Amino acid sequence: MTHLELIHIHKSFGSTVAVEDFNLSVRQGEFVSFLGPSGCGKTTTLRMIAGFELPSSGTIMLDGKDLTYTPPNKRNVGMVFQSYALFPHMTVAQNVGYGLKIAGQSKSQIAARVEEMLSLIQMEAFANRYPHQLSGGQQQRVALARALAIRPKVLLLDEPLSALDAKIRLELRQEIRRIQQQLGITTVYVTHDQEEALSLSDRIVVMNQGKIEQIGTPTEIYNEPATEFVAQFVGYINLLPVKVVTPSEGVVRLGNQLIRAGRFGHLNDKPVRLAVRPEELKSGFAEGANNLSGRVESVTYLGSIIRIRMEVEGHLLTLDMFNERRFTVPKAGESLSVHFPIEACWLL
Amino acid sequence: MNTKRVNWWAIFWGILAILYFFLPMYGTLDFSLRMKRGEISLMAYEIVFSDPRFWEGFRYSTIMALITIAVSALIFVPTVYWMHLKVPQARPLVELVTILPFIIPPIVYVFGLIRTFSRPPLQLTRTPFTTDILIVTGYVVISMPYMFRAVDAGMRAIDVRSLTEAAQSLGSNWFQVLAYVIIPNLRIAILSGALICFATVMGELILASFLVRPALGPYMALLGLTKAYEPAALAIISYALTWFSLGLIQLVSRGGTAQQLTGR
Ligand SMILES: Nc1ncnc2c1ncn2[C@@H]1O[C@H](COP(=O)(O)OP(=O)(O)OP(=O)(O)O)[C@@H](O)[C@H]1O
Ligand SMILES: [Mg+2]
Repeated sequence: MTHLELIHIHKSFGSTVAVEDFNLSVRQGEFVSFLGPSGCGKTTTLRMIAGFELPSSGTIMLDGKDLTYTPPNKRNVGMVFQSYALFPHMTVAQNVGYGLKIAGQSKSQIAARVEEMLSLIQMEAFANRYPHQLSGGQQQRVALARALAIRPKVLLLDEPLSALDAKIRLELRQEIRRIQQQLGITTVYVTHDQEEALSLSDRIVVMNQGKIEQIGTPTEIYNEPATEFVAQFVGYINLLPVKVVTPSEGVVRLGNQLIRAGRFGHLNDKPVRLAVRPEELKSGFAEGANNLSGRVESVTYLGSIIRIRMEVEGHLLTLDMFNERRFTVPKAGESLSVHFPIEACWLL
Repeated sequence: MNTKRVNWWAIFWGILAILYFFLPMYGTLDFSLRMKRGEISLMAYEIVFSDPRFWEGFRYSTIMALITIAVSALIFVPTVYWMHLKVPQARPLVELVTILPFIIPPIVYVFGLIRTFSRPPLQLTRTPFTTDILIVTGYVVISMPYMFRAVDAGMRAIDVRSLTEAAQSLGSNWFQVLAYVIIPNLRIAILSGALICFATVMGELILASFLVRPALGPYMALLGLTKAYEPAALAIISYALTWFSLGLIQLVSRGGTAQQLTGR
């Protein structure tokens, strides 16, 4: 059941094209993230849903109604900003109740709803504080409650956590997800943090230079990136220039070592690259898998993970292994063979 | 405690500055109290306060000042708001326009006004009422640099754009955004602009005298030409008025912060 739909959305500012042919349908209660590098058009798209920006062309539908030219104050869309944007002269309770007051609700209705919202964000004790008396994380929770108080049809969040420090960010991320699921509210979340997008979303829209690169679940985005951009932007990936040996079977070679790709498109004479995630590589030889051998360049401890860079046929290959006692960690300069499953690599 | 070396030069310049500012004022005050030969008295003040023309001027200028404040707040709050929100790139131009009253002498300005509005199609100088309209317009222009800067500083202190958008997404129309969100956060800025505006209009001479209206400024000037002690008393009164305004600004802006700190 499509709830929010963006159809052929296009937006330019003068000669800058910010968003190009954006198509997306969001189901009722779905959590969708826009993920992409700075300037790729995430905020612009979100602002068009909120009504702060008009699309140059295209249509925005919500609940089956055309919303494209509805002014922002008539959309019933909740918005959470990176800068919190709490009203400085109002208390927490007044902030949360503001939208209800504008909607003309009675004092008792407002008070009841405000209480409900404050208990949702677990901040009942702060009702009479002013925004400047709260920490950043608390302010953002109030902003969330304020946006949700009006029972919006869609909740929009534009990098709501990027002004907060790492620990609070993690906490609040989980809280946003909990509240979103508890209320079952359709949510669009803008971020340039892949971890945030992967951990929060039902689906992720990866954007680059105003265009959608891929729409998919976090698993699809990570395990089956549709384009080289997605493969490189989400997580780390090895990309090795290889030569095609048998186009019909996806067999390629790196120097003199043969590799068989699990996924590949139509192969012609164009240069292709083999993509494989560092965590798929294991040290040692394995029958029935792809095997590569080379020389260790460097070993880096990253806590639970050890990152090894090795040189294979003149190219750098990165592998991550868990920091477990039973593994012997290779040293720089040693020769090393690694293997990875056929289905774990593909050709781009 | 570290023993700070006493900076004699700083003290010297400080004393010099104090003398420079306060000596003439002290002289004026002293002079204004010596109307009765050989004794200190408030006679000059009594004469001023018992002159109906003083009260007429005071009343007229106060009313004009209040109207000016209302008009310029009505003009500048929405305008500066719009500039911040929609055309921030116009700021240099707007700043230039708002300091024009500092660049163009009032005398030039008032002649321009008279030449333009003393003949059709808009003959405003014909009746006192229409002249008052003209004079308020003039006062709005003269106090524009202060009002603009006060409001502008207030807007800079808040995130106009996000606050506006937050209020809009919560259902507010433009009027509600301004009335419930923007203006309450500009209270102190508008008030300090208003007080400077008030002080400016109360002392304004050129516009009022060339447009021949019974304002306080021309009365003071006239008194200055014909009397000796009373103008000194008036000068002290107008100083007091200005300082009272400034003190009020201080009080209000400090009150504002205290209020925010204690959460009202
Ligand atoms: N009001 C505007 N006027 C002109 N160009 C704009 C405007 N708003 C955005 N742009 C341009 O549109 C493009 C997309 O901007 P947008 O803010 O949507 O990016 P973003 O993905 O949100 O980036 P970030 O992660 O940095 O927030 C950028 O090239 C930006 O310069
Ligand atoms: Mg952005």
